[in-house]
Amino acid sequence: MKFSLAVYAAPHSSQSAASALRFARALLAEGHEIYRIFFYCDGVQNANSIAAPPQDETDLTGQWQALQREHSLDLVVCIAAAQRRGVLNQREAERLEKPSANLAEGFELAGLGQLTDAVANSERLVTFGGTQ
Amino acid sequence: MTLHIVSKSPFSTQALSDCLESFADGDALLLIEDGVYALQHKALQDLQNTEIFCLAADSEARGLLPSAISCSVEAIDDARWVHLCTEHNPIVSWFR
Repeated sequence: MKFSLAVYAAPHSSQSAASALRFARALLAEGHEIYRIFFYCDGVQNANSIAAPPQDETDLTGQWQALQREHSLDLVVCIAAAQRRGVLNQREAERLEKPSANLAEGFELAGLGQLTDAVANSERLVTFGGTQ
Repeated sequence: MTLHIVSKSPFSTQALSDCLESFADGDALLLIEDGVYALQHKALQDLQNTEIFCLAADSEARGLLPSAISCSVEAIDDARWVHLCTEHNPIVSWFR
């Protein structure tokens, strides 16, 4: 079955981003297809390549990247949410005259339309949310 | 039928009560993350004839064993979680 995930949670703010990664792995292990994973609101922090968690904590960004490489996943980050929170690719950093880019390799910036496209083209959407 | 996924504790958020307000016959409830604290909440005991699941890893991590609290809640692994999502549509997450 074709799934998409929406991730609203930052790696450090709750367990939800880790749950999303776990669910994505379980989906692939069970032979399902992941059409897209869309990172929205604080979820854009999953794509922040310069976050440096302590070595005894999980590096979710690195684990998303590894899963992306292994399964050619479409990891899409909401561009408006990302700009607000300081997650920029090279092009956006130059356009907005910011000192550096930090979008992790394997993630792409795109508009909210990519979430509606994911809903339209997937049989299931599972949302992982929130702060606290 | 809808699969409702509650990921916050009923002792600190409205997630579970909001979820139950929109609960329809035939819907199923899955407790994950801090949502598993609902195993200790009276709201769950009022749910009759409802499929209730909790993610075993999350409940065990919090020292909550569903079998010891209520025989009507089934602890499931990740593969079963995936399977539940194929059986239900839509899947609604409650996290506030």
